[in-house]
Amino acid sequence: MSLIELKNISRAYTVGDREFYAIHDINMNLEEGELVVILGPSGAGKSTLLNILGGMDSPTEGEFFFDGRDIARFKDKDLTDYRAWNVGVVFQFYNLIPTLTAYENVALMKDVRANSGKRSVWNKGDVEVMAPENAIAAVGLSERMDHFPSQLSGGEQQRISIARAIAKNPRLLLCDEPTGALDTNTGREVLKLLQDISHKEGRTVVMVTHNSSCAEIADRVIRVKNATVVSDERIESPKDALEVNW
Amino acid sequence: MLIRNMFRNLFKNKVQFISIFIMSFLGLFVFVGMDSEVAGFTEAEEAFYNEYGLADIWVRGMKFMPDDIDKVKGLEGVKDAERRASVKGKFLLPDREADMYLTFIESNEISRIGIVEGETYSSGKSGIWIDYVFANKNSLKCGDRVKLKYEGKTFDETVRGTIRHPEYVYFLRDSASMMPDYGFYGMAFLDASEFPLENGTEFNELIIDAEGIDNYVPVNDDEKAVRKSLEAKIREVLENDTLAVLDKDDQLSYQTFRAEMDQHRGMSFMFPVVFMLISVLGIITTMTRLTKRQRIQIGTLKALGLSKSVITMHYVSYGFFLSLAGSVLGALAGYKYIVDLVLTMMADTYLIPNPRGKLTSSGVFVIAASVAVATLVSFLSCRHQLKFPPAETLRPEAPKHMKTSRFEKSALWKGLGFATQWNLRDVRRNKARTGMGIIGVAGSTMLMISAFGCLDSIEFITDWMYGQLNTAGYQIVMKDNTPYEEVYEYAVKYKGQMVENISAVFEAGEIDKNGTVTVIERGSLLHFQDDDFRSEGLTENGIAMSAKMARSLNIWEGDFVRWHLTGDDKWQKDRVVQIYANPGTQGITMFRKVYEQHEYKFMPQMVLTNMESVKDLDDEAVLGVQDTKGLMRSMDEMKKMMYMMMAIFISAAVILGVVVLYNQGILSYVEKIREMATLKVLGFTTGKIRLILQLQNVWITIAGIILGIPLGKLLLYGIMADMPEQMDYRGIIFGPSYLYSAAGTFVLSTLVSAFLSRKVRSVDMVEALKGIE
Repeated sequence: MSLIELKNISRAYTVGDREFYAIHDINMNLEEGELVVILGPSGAGKSTLLNILGGMDSPTEGEFFFDGRDIARFKDKDLTDYRAWNVGVVFQFYNLIPTLTAYENVALMKDVRANSGKRSVWNKGDVEVMAPENAIAAVGLSERMDHFPSQLSGGEQQRISIARAIAKNPRLLLCDEPTGALDTNTGREVLKLLQDISHKEGRTVVMVTHNSSCAEIADRVIRVKNATVVSDERIESPKDALEVNW
Repeated sequence: MLIRNMFRNLFKNKVQFISIFIMSFLGLFVFVGMDSEVAGFTEAEEAFYNEYGLADIWVRGMKFMPDDIDKVKGLEGVKDAERRASVKGKFLLPDREADMYLTFIESNEISRIGIVEGETYSSGKSGIWIDYVFANKNSLKCGDRVKLKYEGKTFDETVRGTIRHPEYVYFLRDSASMMPDYGFYGMAFLDASEFPLENGTEFNELIIDAEGIDNYVPVNDDEKAVRKSLEAKIREVLENDTLAVLDKDDQLSYQTFRAEMDQHRGMSFMFPVVFMLISVLGIITTMTRLTKRQRIQIGTLKALGLSKSVITMHYVSYGFFLSLAGSVLGALAGYKYIVDLVLTMMADTYLIPNPRGKLTSSGVFVIAASVAVATLVSFLSCRHQLKFPPAETLRPEAPKHMKTSRFEKSALWKGLGFATQWNLRDVRRNKARTGMGIIGVAGSTMLMISAFGCLDSIEFITDWMYGQLNTAGYQIVMKDNTPYEEVYEYAVKYKGQMVENISAVFEAGEIDKNGTVTVIERGSLLHFQDDDFRSEGLTENGIAMSAKMARSLNIWEGDFVRWHLTGDDKWQKDRVVQIYANPGTQGITMFRKVYEQHEYKFMPQMVLTNMESVKDLDDEAVLGVQDTKGLMRSMDEMKKMMYMMMAIFISAAVILGVVVLYNQGILSYVEKIREMATLKVLGFTTGKIRLILQLQNVWITIAGIILGIPLGKLLLYGIMADMPEQMDYRGIIFGPSYLYSAAGTFVLSTLVSAFLSRKVRSVDMVEALKGIE
């Protein structure tokens, strides 16, 4: 069984008296441990797809199975629970809480898990939140732990954002244009980190980007255009992230 | 971690959050202070009355003989009774003769003397026990030989002690005075054997300790019923139908203190309400702004898996913790500082021993209410940003959908400048924010108007009372029972106007009220005005009623009122021909001719005159001469209280104005930062952008002032309506006060706006147009 199965997923919006689809009739399966890049131009629907995968939005049509459960039918509270246990998110502009230090931003994940409750359907007793210092060490920023986001560079902030995302030990790591605000060198380091998380730790990483160079590190590239999937390509030998150029 | 986040946010936005804290603090500071003062003072009053056994019933209107006491004591429901002589004499000081209420007693079991210093009283003991304030202010001490005068007879006494007395918690020099000035006059107790006149002690009063009436609570209906039934029995057993049978509610001392406490209670609730409103406005603006600014952060927290309820709790806890801390600290500080301040001021007016503050459960209730309101308002303010799914919250808020109004298509619109058009659209788009600004300015103006109005009103009332209604420079007060002919001689000699005041009961429908019947002879010194201060003559064709009494009895011109004089059982029924306004005495007024038509004899006790020569009058028939300046001086005490109230109101007005305008301005700045950056990029100068922003502030300020003026008047009327029953104080605002209030608010608003618009200079075009947080 695939980790994720999307069946005829659509998301419609109404603006004024006009209805339009941000994504329409999407079908795909994502496997455990895959590094998937969703590629497409602005307005293609890739962010909407990422939002649905992350339980941040719900489809208006179709079915979305995660580990066998239909997430599309989930109510607000269950979606929160789903995010708390299964999803880590890395944003283009990092979205760190500016009034918390790097350490505190990562430690916040303990609150998230505690708040979600031990009786969650996703709690199988084998997933612990990482110690914040370990998560930060994993992204190589142990010495910057007590700094506030405003005292960190963009690349450092993005690495803390990744540390925050992996601290939950999520099965699915979603990245929305993670190199969008970074220079090439820093971007490459971030991509390397994500590649290692997928290949070495066996986590499913889904990266949304319009930068086709990022696709070179993926195990699989899904191209989206005009709200639909136009191609789904498996890459036999992805490049090492440090070799990518753009 | 969210708690740390909260504290850092609080620190970062300390100016706005401190204002919320201060408002909660001030509300509870004043409330608990005054509530504890009322509770403590009332408790001290009850303890005082209980310890010294305040009488339950007073009987006046005849000379009481020894067997009368036995008859009354024998009545069912009477625990004890005493007779005494209550007269007004003079205390001869080296430089003047001071008015002195003298009470000659046979025993001291009911309404007992409270010794402050010196010997206790026992039956038959010679000497005088004199009120301690009078003794202190005139440097009298135990053992001094003092001189007194009554009915022209001078007599010497030795001061045995200084005292206080449960019937003299509050007493005025005479019925024309409006405020006490203890020490200038006084009261004293002596044994009946010391009565100075040769034809024996004139026992003119009986006091009774009754079954079924206690000293602890205000006179209730059961106690009224006990008094009513005893009244009939007393009249029957003493065979006198014209006796005045009075209870505590008829005593100036008891009734004035109770009314004052009621007034304080009312005021104590007014303050937390006003401050809570300010606090609510502060919370709305601050929390709306905070959550708006942190929209992406909220979306991130949601995306990370924090539930909506946890995020809601996080934002609600700002209002909760701030109001909790402010309220609790305010309550503690109020109990510690306000109580003593008010009690010290009140102790000069009400002579009650050992008043101390007392915390009541109302404090806890108001703290809970304040915290609940702040929490609820915080919740409502941040609800909007929390209701959307994370995917939507993570996107910047879309601009509001706008349609062009008809006005915007008109030629008039096209003729307006860019600044006006831009501001009109901004106001239309942000109705709630604009409304909040207007309410804040209106509140500020309201407080300023009522603050200046309090002072204007006291100035007006002093002038109204002693400059317009009573234009006599002096009042010759005659001794009780001075024959009419003698009073008349004084009136002729000093070209004066004779006046008689008699206490009475008025009744209309189910309502009855105590008041005064004033009977006047023709003259040119007393004047009358209708309810709108228009001068008019007193009617010759019947009775005229004071406006406040008419309102209390729900009587209009042309309606009938039933009334009887205290001590006279005969009810009269008259049509009220005229309504007049008077700030000091409530009841009915009529010419002597009308009074005599009711088969009463005109017995004037006062002659009003403008002849200065009466100042040194020292005749046997004259109790004293008052000059109007002395009476006006007693109003100064009231002015002091009004100054305090004015200071509190103006401080609140300034805080309210600054808090609301600053918050509203910051909110508007945050919302408009992208627009301002765009204008800058397009080539607008910083000065021009500042002018555009300030224009809107001018509109809001003007609208707020226009709304605040009537609200201020209403608040002032409310304060004045809360005065004791016998006072008909009108809320008056003089022209300059409108100007000061409007100008004060305008300057305040302009300063805040100018301060805020400086921020335009620091708008970073690149960051503002790019940045999200």
